[in-house]
Amino acid sequence: MSAEVDFKALWNKEEAKDMPDTKELLKKADRLKKLTRFKLIAQSLLLLATVAVLLFAGFRIDHVQVSTIIGLVLMIIAIVSYLIVANQILPMLFKSNIEGTSQEYLNQLIRIKRKNEFINKVMINIYFSLLSLGLFLYSLQFVAKMSTGWATFYYVMVFGWMAFSWFVSRPRGVKRKQKPLNDMIERLEAVNKQLKDSE
Amino acid sequence: MMVFDDIYKAYWNKVFRICMGYVNDHDWAKDIAQETFVTIWQQLPKFRGEAAIGTWIFRIASNNCLRQIERQNRMPRTEMPEQIAEHIEPDREPQVQFLYKCIAELPETDRLIISLELEDVKQAEIAKIVGLSETNIRVKVYRIKEKLAKKFENYER
Repeated sequence: MSAEVDFKALWNKEEAKDMPDTKELLKKADRLKKLTRFKLIAQSLLLLATVAVLLFAGFRIDHVQVSTIIGLVLMIIAIVSYLIVANQILPMLFKSNIEGTSQEYLNQLIRIKRKNEFINKVMINIYFSLLSLGLFLYSLQFVAKMSTGWATFYYVMVFGWMAFSWFVSRPRGVKRKQKPLNDMIERLEAVNKQLKDSE
Repeated sequence: MMVFDDIYKAYWNKVFRICMGYVNDHDWAKDIAQETFVTIWQQLPKFRGEAAIGTWIFRIASNNCLRQIERQNRMPRTEMPEQIAEHIEPDREPQVQFLYKCIAELPETDRLIISLELEDVKQAEIAKIVGLSETNIRVKVYRIKEKLAKKFENYER
């Protein structure tokens, strides 16, 4: 018996005994769709709530100054843009076409991961800059009313927090997101190389 | 055009076996096969027949297998400790188990190529599924079969 016939015969002996019912399968598809929609709704609600709290805080201040409003707006822009990019634009931009050849698909995945890596880095920088600047401007009005001692204490705290965010949290955040992405790119490239080797 | 139910019945076992060749894990393979059919169900109305329906289905199945690279939390059987990977399932023939184990140990794209070959997909079609030339596929299939034959020789000894 030739090896080929042997392999094919063995191969065909494997069967998934329990083929799921079509209804069950489509129910699964529906469930996935609902879950995605639910996540989107939950995120939007969270976003609206945050903006509402910030706006509420802004309107409660008497004789509001321009710097306070600008600060508030910057903070809102920071949060809104981060959430929009992360939840709406990224998945839309990075939709992959699963109907291409394996080679096209792998290249597509690698491209997507690279873009993702870049946007992550840029978005985290924009988010931190806007939030820090926003908080600084927002607080100017209140600090002006404080005694010199308290104002100094406040600025030390705020600048301390900003420095900590910029030099510790931000690189950590970037790294935390980059590591799995880089690992993934490496693995995808290794698989893609298997196809290139044979060309 | 074929309706979804017909496609599902005709291709379920084929798609399942390709996934099984890729991961060598019954439950995992079933999950990938199910995901494949969910995609097929979603995309079928848009299918214009540029490729043969089988090529189209196998492309989606192969890409779904490749997508498993993104799931880091689930390790393929071959990377698990020996005693788990070697565990014998009584209702499967040892030789069949050995074949699937050997295939799942190959490089990712080789797993897909040999699975499609054993599934009786023409090499010209495999070329269209994977994105390599037919000559390349022929060479690869030959080498993979050689590798498998060697492993079987040692296994039977």
